[in-house]
Amino acid sequence: MNWHVGIAGWVHGSTPSGLMSTRAWATLAVGILVLGLAVPLAAGETANSEARAGGSTDEELAAGARRVFFGTEVVPVLTRLGCNGGGCHGKATGQNGFRLSLLGFEPEFDYESLVTESRGRRISIAAPDRSLLLLKATARVPHGGGRRLEEASDEYGILRGWIAQGALPPHPGDARPLRIEIDPAERVLDSNASLQLRVTVFLSDGSTRDVTRQTIYQSNEPGIISVDTVGGVTVGDRRGVAAVMARFGEQIATFRATVPFVDKPEDLASAQAVLDRLDPPIPDTQINRMLIRQWRRLGIVPSPMADDAAFLRRVTLDICGTLPTPDELSAYRADTRDDKRERLIDRLLDRPEYASYFALKWADILRNRGAGYSTSQQRAGTALFASWIRDSIASNKRYDRFVTEILTAAGRQNENPPTVWYRTVRKPPEFVESVAQAFLGVRVQCAQCHHHPTERWGTADYFGLAAVFSRVGRKGGFADAEVPTDESIFVKDHTEVRDPRTGKTVRPRPLGGTDLDLKPGDDPRESLARWMTRADNPFFARTMANRLWAHFLGRGIVHPIDDARDSNPPSNPELLDALAYEFVASGYDVKQLIRAICNSHAYALQATPTENNIADSQSFARFYPRRLQAEVLIDALSQVLDVPTEFPGVSPGTRSIDLPDENVAAHFLDVFGRPSRLSACECERTDAPSLGQALELVNSSEIQRKLLHPAGYAARLAALDKPATELVHEIFPRILSRPARDEELRTAVNFLESETADRAEACRSLLWALFATNEFLFNH
Amino acid sequence: MMQLPKPGCGLDNRPTRRALLQVGGPILGLGLADLLRCDARATEAGKAASGKSIIVFWTDGGISQQDSYDLKPAAPMEYRGAYQPIGTTVPGIQLGERLPRQAEVMRRVAIVRSVHHENGIHAPSAHWMQTGYFGPTLARNAAQKPSLGSVIARSVGSRRPPMPAYITIPRLEAFGYQGAVYLGKAYNPFEVGGDPNASDFKVPNLTLPGGLTAANVAKRRGLLDSFDSLRREIDESGVMDGLDTFKRQALEMVSGERMRAAFDISVESAELRDRYGRHRYGQSALLARRLIEAGARCVNINTGNWDHHNDIVKGLDEHLPPLDRAIAALIVDLEERGMLDDVLVYCVGEFGRTPRMNGHSGRDHWSDCFSVLLAGGGIQGGRVVGASEKWGGGVLERPVSPLDLLATIYRQLGIPLDTHFEDASGRPVSIVGAGRPINELF
Repeated sequence: MNWHVGIAGWVHGSTPSGLMSTRAWATLAVGILVLGLAVPLAAGETANSEARAGGSTDEELAAGARRVFFGTEVVPVLTRLGCNGGGCHGKATGQNGFRLSLLGFEPEFDYESLVTESRGRRISIAAPDRSLLLLKATARVPHGGGRRLEEASDEYGILRGWIAQGALPPHPGDARPLRIEIDPAERVLDSNASLQLRVTVFLSDGSTRDVTRQTIYQSNEPGIISVDTVGGVTVGDRRGVAAVMARFGEQIATFRATVPFVDKPEDLASAQAVLDRLDPPIPDTQINRMLIRQWRRLGIVPSPMADDAAFLRRVTLDICGTLPTPDELSAYRADTRDDKRERLIDRLLDRPEYASYFALKWADILRNRGAGYSTSQQRAGTALFASWIRDSIASNKRYDRFVTEILTAAGRQNENPPTVWYRTVRKPPEFVESVAQAFLGVRVQCAQCHHHPTERWGTADYFGLAAVFSRVGRKGGFADAEVPTDESIFVKDHTEVRDPRTGKTVRPRPLGGTDLDLKPGDDPRESLARWMTRADNPFFARTMANRLWAHFLGRGIVHPIDDARDSNPPSNPELLDALAYEFVASGYDVKQLIRAICNSHAYALQATPTENNIADSQSFARFYPRRLQAEVLIDALSQVLDVPTEFPGVSPGTRSIDLPDENVAAHFLDVFGRPSRLSACECERTDAPSLGQALELVNSSEIQRKLLHPAGYAARLAALDKPATELVHEIFPRILSRPARDEELRTAVNFLESETADRAEACRSLLWALFATNEFLFNH
Repeated sequence: MMQLPKPGCGLDNRPTRRALLQVGGPILGLGLADLLRCDARATEAGKAASGKSIIVFWTDGGISQQDSYDLKPAAPMEYRGAYQPIGTTVPGIQLGERLPRQAEVMRRVAIVRSVHHENGIHAPSAHWMQTGYFGPTLARNAAQKPSLGSVIARSVGSRRPPMPAYITIPRLEAFGYQGAVYLGKAYNPFEVGGDPNASDFKVPNLTLPGGLTAANVAKRRGLLDSFDSLRREIDESGVMDGLDTFKRQALEMVSGERMRAAFDISVESAELRDRYGRHRYGQSALLARRLIEAGARCVNINTGNWDHHNDIVKGLDEHLPPLDRAIAALIVDLEERGMLDDVLVYCVGEFGRTPRMNGHSGRDHWSDCFSVLLAGGGIQGGRVVGASEKWGGGVLERPVSPLDLLATIYRQLGIPLDTHFEDASGRPVSIVGAGRPINELF
């Protein structure tokens, strides 16, 4: 037994401020245990590096005094060395004829590959050092992957020892890893700290073993903390919270680090003091408390509150997908009531645009496609489902019911529109992806073929969830061989699903749940829906809370929003818990959840950073700006120029957030990132900028048409017989939802007064130059 | 750990979120924000063009290999077809008689006669050849993997912004499988949108809409500069930076001279334009050369349609001569300009056509064995790789997969073959999978 110990593993205390600096470490006399001997060492850094440089030598193994186990020792070495990575022998086709299971999740397969395949030449029990495995890994014979292994290393000793002992196969009776522990599990680190993680595996025979060097590490925020291959953690340039995932076989543990935005304890204290003295004080709600807790921990001071104009524009865009009008702006600014923000949020939630905008969002997630469904009956199906979604949102249907009605839909589209979901989502991979990503916030697609590389999900979880949908039957409705027209969804009495890899029967089972107990004729989908919507479901409410938080705050607490993993923890777990708790307690009231988010202090902050919080990108200490999405942008242009966009096949004046599906031809929308509804991932809607978008802004005929339209705002403006100053005072609130600043006023007036030759073009240019600004193109 | 080559990028890229995720070995590309920052810097530095590029002739519908690059003169009439083989400048290599100009430049040309995959339907086959991977089986299904042009655009970018990295003439084809999918819309092709041979050829995206003049644009640009004051640093994601860069590029493209000049093939001599041929293929090839010179990385020319189920002679007599002239003239022109080593020319479609003629004097879909053409870009010409069976049909020797072709192309363009990009589920997907470069071509 040998222990691999770093200095930080020993320093369990912390200074009163919660900070543990390297200077503090240096003052501590510590001991470090190597080979069972206590060796006194002086300073943290030194101890750290010595412990690591020294490595460990397994004397028992060298002496042949203990057995080497394939599953818990050999495979982890192959993983550590990268042999079974997706770029090497772990890929489905192997590498140069040698294939291992991806990341070592199937030891039996790996054993076959190593020992039996290739006429057994990979292993030489008689002369272990002449085994091809070792010759290749040490590059003593040419190896495409180069030299991966030193002959003097522990890893070499393990592989060699296992071969010398007869290359014994994995046996069901071998001790299995039950869990791993990482030490420390959590730590506040200052900007120049480093520490050594230690990982211990607990085996089913009651023993434990240090597997620090056989563990795979990965940081979820490499800019904040990075981790090397043997668990050494270094703080990077950025500040915030981060996690290191440690994986040993199927076992995962996470180290969480907090790196404050200030270096000295006294600066932390003064940042906290600023927070305490904010005027006006932050309203005392559970959500605000959790935000403040995080800011205090990090020494962040949030940006000042956004002014009325900025808040009005922001919240109108976020709730209604619509730009506020100048009249709304002046009314809101004139409102002197204390609770005017709450009232505004309530008013917006009652507007029809709220339902339209969020129905668009859900039609994307639920993949309500128009493309490919071109017959009149098919289009009707898409439209019926779209209306059903919109009505559900307008009536504020409980979210648990909304989802249950979709998942358990049966019948025909005319009777029950959510059956249209089953038109697009047809096969097990689509069911699993849609349910897991859309409603549970996790990605399990990888587990169709192999164990998830950074999560606990294996193929059994995948096929268990797939089996839930095995009783979905379909009747009729095909107009042609390819595309269903109006099929009927029903529940079959009985079906059997087999794991295609093992051939074993798979019973329906929700992710992380237990096998569903089903009688013939039961609908497993109902059991799944009941499991999902229970108050204690670990995924369901949190996923929706996180999704909406990301909608309004520009980033999920879990980010990306559909990738919750132990190895990708929330940036503020207590905040997510608080939101999910309120959501469940309200009876899955979506509007109430939106109110809670929009009334939070984080949502009311300016986008402008302070010197202190400029580097923050995950603690919501300021408002993170983002692009107006395609539909919102073109609607905003239609509104400010007062010329509707003409979409083919829909009634004139239809706003793009009200379009029936994604298949209405609109080059502008495609260029600006409208998704094709191919996946349940919101990431399909991209806000990535492109040259095409910029060209569209600069010279699209649609924008020029709007500018030139004789009844449009540009033409009306040019015809006004008013002084330039008055025009400018009118234009700015209309486009940028705020008054012109003095300097802008001067520039704009000068421009209009100097461009006397073509006043209409001057007006067009001025309007264009304002809506081409980032200030217009972004919500901020 | 491999790093993606970054065009003109400085050293201070810090990886945002999980831009660099290491899962047991495979390496992922830089985050978008990094690339945008790189692009922005590259633009500001006004970096000179460097590195290799590619011009693709996409033969939409599937060209008949046995009437073009892989003739079977000894086969029975119904296999042999209507055309005779002709000699080329390389002893022992013959082409079909409708390719006399390519026969003249055979020293620079390599033919791979043993390409194969396992699908016979246009859409999935186009997906296979464009992306290297089998794709959706139904035409209504959208692409699952990025096209080679998008992979190239994402991996090595434009050689000289604002010239787009990936351009297609005249517009997106191949059932929509010439796009970027999970690489992001920024890596979709820039569509030229018109026929370069048309007398009124214009690029819609670069043509000012009615009522707008270059002088107007210049004024708008000046105004925008004075109003566009929102502080960039409020946006950590890089999106605002990126959009600014693209706005500047777009304004420069629309109002500046350089882009307009690159697309203006009328400045080429009448003699050279004639050499390329006064048809869509010829003038497209000429335009492609100008765009590459101006900094584009991948120009795709869509040709066809080659889906000759009926009366194949009529179809090929119409399409082969202009394709022959365009490719041959391009190779000669590139060589005369000293560009041939830096520009790869690739002619490919979704599949070939049945070795045996059908009852309508045509040939049907055939993916068991067909031919592609490569030239320049460091490829050794004057050779044939692989062979089909006696009368056509299957691969006789040296099977070449779609991914092998992509691996060959990426290698020549300096894109590391262990590059992976994350799909929408976060899964790292290799750009070449099991594909290996065709070493016989180097």
